[in-house]
Parts: sequence; structure tokens; C-alpha cells
Amino acid sequence: MSFTLQRRRLLQAGAGAGALAALPSFAQAFDWKRYAGQHIEAHLIKSPRGELLQRHAKEFEALTGITVGVDLVPEQQSRQKVSIEFNSKKPSFDVVQFGYHVQKRQFTRGGWLEDLRPYMAESGAEFDRADLLPSALATAILPDGKWDGMPLNLDPFMLYMNKELFAAKGIAVPKTVAELQAAALKLHDPGKGIVGMVGRGLKNANVPLWGIFMLGEGGQFLNGAKLATDSPEAITGATIYRDLLTKTGPAGISGFNWNEAQSLFLQGRAAMWIDSSGFSAPLEDPTKSKVVGKVGYAAMPAGTKKRVTATFSDGIGVSSYSANKGAAWYFVLWASGTQMQARLLSGGGGAPIRASGFSNKAELSKINPEYLQALADSLRIAVPGLPVIEPVTEFRDTFGIALVNVLNGADPAAELKHATADFQPVLDKSEKPA
Amino acid sequence: MIEGDRRRLLCFALPAVLVVLAVAVFPWGFTLWMSLFDWKIGSAAHFIGLDNYIGLASDTRFLWSIVRTLVFTALAVGAPLVLGTFAALVFHERFPLRGLLRGAFTLPMMATPVAIALIWTMMFHPQQGVLNYLLSLVGIPPSAWVYSPALAIPCLVLVDVWQWTPLVMLVVLGGLASLPTDPFEAAYLEGASRWQTFRHVTLPMLMPFVLVAAVIRMIDALKTFDTIYVITQGGPGTASETINLYLYLQAFSFYQVGKSSAVVVVFFALVIALSLLLFWLRKRVNYHD
Amino acid sequence: MIDRPSTPARHWVDRGVLAVGVLIFVAPAVSVFLWMLSLAFKNEVDNLAYPPVFIPTAPTLANFTAVFRENNFLLYFWNSIVVTGVSTLVALLIGVPAGYAIARLKAKKLLLVILVARMTPAISFLIPLFTLFQALGLTGSLLPVVITHLVITVPIVVYVVSGYFETLPPELEEAALVDGCSLWQRFRFVALPLARPGVTVAAILAFIFSWNNFIFGAVLAGRTTRTLPVAVYNVLTFEQVAWGPLAAAALLVTLPVLVLTMLVQKEIVGGLTAGGVKGG
Repeated sequence: MSFTLQRRRLLQAGAGAGALAALPSFAQAFDWKRYAGQHIEAHLIKSPRGELLQRHAKEFEALTGITVGVDLVPEQQSRQKVSIEFNSKKPSFDVVQFGYHVQKRQFTRGGWLEDLRPYMAESGAEFDRADLLPSALATAILPDGKWDGMPLNLDPFMLYMNKELFAAKGIAVPKTVAELQAAALKLHDPGKGIVGMVGRGLKNANVPLWGIFMLGEGGQFLNGAKLATDSPEAITGATIYRDLLTKTGPAGISGFNWNEAQSLFLQGRAAMWIDSSGFSAPLEDPTKSKVVGKVGYAAMPAGTKKRVTATFSDGIGVSSYSANKGAAWYFVLWASGTQMQARLLSGGGGAPIRASGFSNKAELSKINPEYLQALADSLRIAVPGLPVIEPVTEFRDTFGIALVNVLNGADPAAELKHATADFQPVLDKSEKPA
Repeated sequence: MIEGDRRRLLCFALPAVLVVLAVAVFPWGFTLWMSLFDWKIGSAAHFIGLDNYIGLASDTRFLWSIVRTLVFTALAVGAPLVLGTFAALVFHERFPLRGLLRGAFTLPMMATPVAIALIWTMMFHPQQGVLNYLLSLVGIPPSAWVYSPALAIPCLVLVDVWQWTPLVMLVVLGGLASLPTDPFEAAYLEGASRWQTFRHVTLPMLMPFVLVAAVIRMIDALKTFDTIYVITQGGPGTASETINLYLYLQAFSFYQVGKSSAVVVVFFALVIALSLLLFWLRKRVNYHD
Repeated sequence: MIDRPSTPARHWVDRGVLAVGVLIFVAPAVSVFLWMLSLAFKNEVDNLAYPPVFIPTAPTLANFTAVFRENNFLLYFWNSIVVTGVSTLVALLIGVPAGYAIARLKAKKLLLVILVARMTPAISFLIPLFTLFQALGLTGSLLPVVITHLVITVPIVVYVVSGYFETLPPELEEAALVDGCSLWQRFRFVALPLARPGVTVAAILAFIFSWNNFIFGAVLAGRTTRTLPVAVYNVLTFEQVAWGPLAAAALLVTLPVLVLTMLVQKEIVGGLTAGGVKGG
């Protein structure tokens, strides 16, 4: 849905609501204090989203009278801990944050998350379903209509540019992948310690970046139940990926995760960087960044067939083993509500899931308008960055290794064919009923 | 020993043995049992007998991880043993501030491996790292360190050596200090040079202690996880994927409890085999012979 | 080992070689820590700068305050003290006699059984022990962590101590036996004092390994029962690896072990120079 269209709709809705407020309200005001006095444990992941929720947890407590024990855990640890605890059927938390692309399928299969539809129905207008963006709905709702988790954000990949370096060589913002490659070549200046492009090379983390190039060439991850990752488009995508990162990238790129890439960009030693929009906050922080005020933002350039970008989501859900499901639902409701979502955007946590998140003037004024535009543009072309399958971690691992080998000189066609052959049996086995 | 001493000695050992068995027995039983199943957390478990083991025997990735583990262990045991023994000899001599300097040398051993690994990761960074900066000061071109598949394991060994050589030194030093002086006096009286004394008197008497250190180091090196996980996650690609990393991948990334249990069993068999080898060596170098 | 007479020239060459030796060993060990100190007191821009900045341009304590603010550091510290203290003490109490017994009985098989616990990869303990402790309802307390740490401390104590006891010649104990001492007396008054360096080394190693253990605390402990190394790892923020706070946290975690070692240095020195049996 177009960004401007959403704004118009929202303004109309706002006008209508204003009129409504003038009437005496017969409808029940939403009772936030319904579960006052209860205590819940929230297991959150250490990320801008988790940190945002932790920072404002006291507000939640004041609003609802529910006390919250917040546990903020780094991503890797969180994944193993959560799995072990869910497996024992007595997890120590009521609310859990997770990564959609990595954990969601497993959670659903294990029946670990509570179906939220009855709670949403009960909360009615407070939940405001109409406000949710289509991509959020697509992420949240399962094929059978079940809704067992709430996305917290939408995090598309975007292009970060060092405007100073661009201006010095008189280069314009690339609109196509071809322009991107040309720009990277011109900006690459090893003599001065500048690389044209930096991105993820580390296995697992690198798959989405390759994926974008493949999708831009018209390829796809899956063709029905068969992998399409050894198609000509996939191979072209891998070649583009390799050339960008090895010819115009830093040494040792195959070990670079988002944080190595980010720190290179922060130091002003990379002209361009492609990665999640959610990593943007430190770029404008003078205590962390040497490129404050020099950063340009744009949506991913177009491939020869399509213009796409990868997007990911963090989610939050209620444990189906919880003894305080109502109170836990309130936390989810609050976290995915208008106010918190607006703060998410200004805090650099990625794009909110609600249209209203884009119209909070106070929060919007804190954000770089170019970033906002790039974000909106990115959301329009966003597709899931990884195939929606159960063994997605194995997928990332198998293809991640293949890509590392490609970066280190192996033939892209051979590697992708090999990886596809390796992974197809894993995929076949997994889609069988449990 | 007198009558009844044997029994009393067994009582001395009993509490420790019981505690260890109590804590380890259940996990071991669980692991052995689970290795016979195909179970992914979140799905149902299926009994498949020895299929996991058969699969592992033809799993090239697993077999390569064994090779890498052996290479890493050989280097990470050999180097500290040699360096640590020399360090023990050095620190056995009397010199001013010996206590302080010896304490300084043992610092690496104290530091939390996870924290140290993160610091080293930064030092290894090809563009931002201190190590490449130091290389540039002496005119050597920058290296990719752990970001290069070929250098990944040697660099990890470097970190391990840096951290654990002091441990070898401590163990051997304790031994050095308890050595009787008579053999040395005898050697001196017979006109042996310092090198000869070292080679034929000191070293043989130190061997039991060196072997104690060797066994500890070997078990730890085989099991090294924190360092490798933090610095390379087994990468680039699979260049530094040892058995323990592969195990972690199966257990906590793929949630394959059955398969990872089988890996544990095979891994454990490897550890036992190597330990028995060292034990046998230790028997042959008995102090009192 | 013994003092040989030598010429003054020889003496200075010896001293020189020794000094070089000491330098080779101490310099790499210490320089990484100096680098950590530097990281801890610099702000983020300095920390990410290249060429590296060694002396902070604007020294700051912000990293340390960040560590305390973002974590319940004192609680984790206390947890670590309890867990490591208890498991090391228990390990010494049951491990030293066991080491003696194994040495005197030459019971290799028993030693192997105990070492099995050390050989087992930690990962294989996690899922079953977690399930077990959950079933027993213990997961809210420090008890599971302490019990699991015994698997770390007991084997190392037994193994190191038995190695030292083995090298003690049996003559002294035999002499005591002839004098009419019971087994316990022989152990307590003859063997144990002689094995002090070994026991000290074992205690230090057990303490260090238990204190620095990460994986058990990360999975088996709850929010309030975490140990210190887990807190260090938690310092990784999502936006960027915060080198300053990480170095600060790392230093804070290592400090107690360092202090302990410095305190025990005297013990080691005393033990190492007093030990040794003349003759034999």
C-alpha cells in the first residue's frame, strides 16, 4: 500500500475520530487495570526493540498495575534458552520475544504460543486491527488463519551511503544494481583505505544479501516444494554478490557480520553499506560515529527484473503454558500499540507495524527525513528475506557456507548446485507432518 | 599398607566418585538414549536405532570436523607444553620481583574466556585491529587473521596458547619446586654440563608433571568452545568448525537432539581414546622408576 | 636447582638470558590486559579508531557506569561468589582425600571415572539437567548451578592432587606407619603438608574454571541467579559491539580472581619453596 495513501486514510480517520470524541461515549473505555496486581515475566532479546520495551516497562506497570520482570538476553543465548525452556513445558516467562525468520515456525509447530485471536476480539477497538500495515498482517497471520504472535517491527534492508565520498567523486544515488556496481568501482580507493561496498559475508548472515540480488534478477528461493536456488538467476545473484564484496570490498569480508560492516561504515571507511534499517541509530550518534550528518539513505536499487528488498521482523507472543495469559496479552497489546510503535521508529528500531506509527508528529520530528523516505520506499518493495520454511536455520547454514566459499574463490554455479542438492532432502523431510 | 587400609582408602575416594556419578549419570543416560532417536525440539521423537551413527560415519562435514579438532588439539597442547615448561624453568630461578612477574604471567589464565575472545576478535580485525597496526609498524603487509579460512585455526591456537600456557607453567612449577636436590648434586659432581643436567636429570623428573598438564590441556583443547564460538563461530565457512562447534550447531541451531547426542557419544569415545593414550605414556614415565 | 659457582661474566650472561626469557613470557601476557585497560577508559569513537588510539584522548568512566547500570552487576557478582566458593570448597573437601586414595591405590580406573565428567562436553549436560532440575522444582535457586559446577571443580581437584601425591615417596608414610599412625593421621599430618603446592594449584584451578564458566550459567540460571561471565556476554548490544563497556565488564569480572591469586601468591611461594623432600 502506498505511503501517501495511508496518510490520507489516517487523516480521514482522525477527523472522524475527532467528531466521535465530542459525543458522550457509551462504549466501555478499555480497562487497562483489569489484571492489576498480577506479575509477569518477559523474556526479551537484546536489540533496539527489546531495549525500547525495557526502557518503558515502568510506564506499562503504571498503566496496568501489572508488575513485569524484564529479562534482556543476547540473541544467540535467547534462542537456546527459550527452546530448552519451552521444551520442558514449564518456561520461566509469560511473554517471549523472538525472531520471525528463525524461530517462529518452530514455535508454531511445538504449539508453544497462545492463539491471540480471542484476546484481540475482546480488546476490540483498543487493538485497532485496521491500523496494522499489510506487510505486518502478512507476517503475523498463519495460512490457517491462526494468529499466535504479534510482529513488533518491520526491518527492511536499505542502502546506506557516505554522502561526502559520493560528492567528492560526483556520483549520484544508484537506482539500479548496475549503477550500484559502477558506483562501487569508482568509490573503491584502497590507497586511501576506503572500500566501495561493505556488507555481510559471514555465513548465515550473508544469505539475505545474496537473496536480494537473486530476487532482483527474477529468481526465487522456492518453486513449490523444490528449491530454485541453483537457477541461472540465483547464480547471477551470487556473482553480483561476490563481485561487489570482493572487488570493491574489504579484506576478510567472509568473516564480516553486520557489526563489522557497521563499524567500518561508522569510521567513514566504506562508501556504501547494505543492511537492515534497524541498525541506523548509531550512525547519527556523535559519541559513536565519524560520519554524523554525512549519511545518505535509499531503498535498494533495482535488479534487471525487479526492485526488491529483504525484510525481517521481530515478534512477541504469549507462552501457551503461562498462568497469566491475560496479563501477558496486555504486555503484547501495549508493545504493539500506537505509542510504543511510534517510539520504535524514532528510536531507530526499524519500521513500525502500524500506519499510525508514521504519523506521530512529535516522534517523526526526531528522525532524519531522508531515512524516513528510504524506509517507506523500502517497505513498498519488501519481501521476506528468507524462504518461509521450517528448517530455515539449516538453509542459512548450508547456503551461507556456499556463499563464503564463493567469496573465497569458488565457482558460484558449482557451489549453489552443491548446496541445493545438499539441502533439498532436508527440506523434503521437514515438510512431512510431524 | 596395612590390613584394612585398602578399604579405608576407598572410603576416602567414595564421596568424590559418588558426587561425580550422581551429577553425570542422568545426562549420560539421557544422551545415550536420545542418540537412538530422531528428535527435533518442537516435533515428535522417532526411534531409529543406530541410524544416527551410521549417518555420522558418512557425514563428510562431521568427519572433517574431527580432523580439524585433532589439528587444533595437537597444536594447542604441544605449544603450551613446550612454552610452559620453559616458563616454569625461568620462573623457578630467583630474581627480583619474581612473585609479581610470575603473577603477571598467569593473568591470561584468570580472564574469562568469553571476554578475552571478544577482545582478541577486535585485535584480529583486518582493517581496525591492533595486530595489523603493529604489523604495519614493522613493514609487514596486513593479514586477514581469523577472517581467512587458512589462518583461522592457527589464530585460534594462538589465543589458546596465550591463555593456557600459564596453566602448564603452574603445574610444572609445582613439580619443579618439589624435586629433590640430590640428583642434581650428583650430576654436578660428575661434571655434567647444564644442558646435560637438564636433558638427563631435570626433564625426566619433570615428565610426570608435564604429563599431568598434558592431560588437562588435551581434554580442554578437545572441548574448546567459548573461544572458537565467539571469535569465528566455526568460520569462515567451516574452516574452524571443530566437533564441539558442529555439536553446538546440531543441538542449538538445528535443535536435533537425537543427532547431537550421537555426536556427543562419538566425541566422548575420541576423548577417552586419547586420554588412555596419555595415561599409558604416564605409566611408562613413572617418577619412581 | 643448585647453586653452581661461576665467573662474573657467565653470571651476567645468565642474568641477561633470564631477563629476555622473562620478557618474552610476560610481555604478551600483560599487553593484552593493558589494551583492555585502554579500551575500558576510552569512549566509543576512540575505541573504533584506526590507527588505534592507545592513550585515551578523553578518559571516561562512562563504560564502567554503563556496566553497572545495565546489569544487576552486584547480584551477579554475589551469585558467582556463592557458586564458585561453595563448589570449590566442596571439591577440596571431597577431592583431596580422593586424590590421595587414588594415588596410593594406584586406581587408574577410578581416576578415569572421575575425569569422565570433565571430558563430557558441557552441552550434553544442559538439556537433561535442566529438565531434571525443573522436575525437582529447583530452577529458581542457585542450587542447580552449584551442583552443576561440581562437575567442573571436583575432577580437576582430584586429578591434580593425585598427580602430586603420586610423586611423594612412600618412605615417610611408611615411617609414620611404623610409628603407629592411622591412615587418617598419615594422610593429614604427613602427606597433606607435603602436597601443599599441589593442593594450592588445584584450588586455584578449580576456582578459576568455575568462576569463568559461561555455558552453565547462561542456560541453567534464571534472571536472578545468573553468574558474572554471563553478564559480560550480555554487554553485547544489538546496535554495535560496545568495546568500551565490554572491556570494562571483562576487567570487573576478572578482578576477583586476580585478587585471590595475589593473596594466595604467598601460599604458593611458601608451598613451592618449602615443599620438596631432601634425599629420596
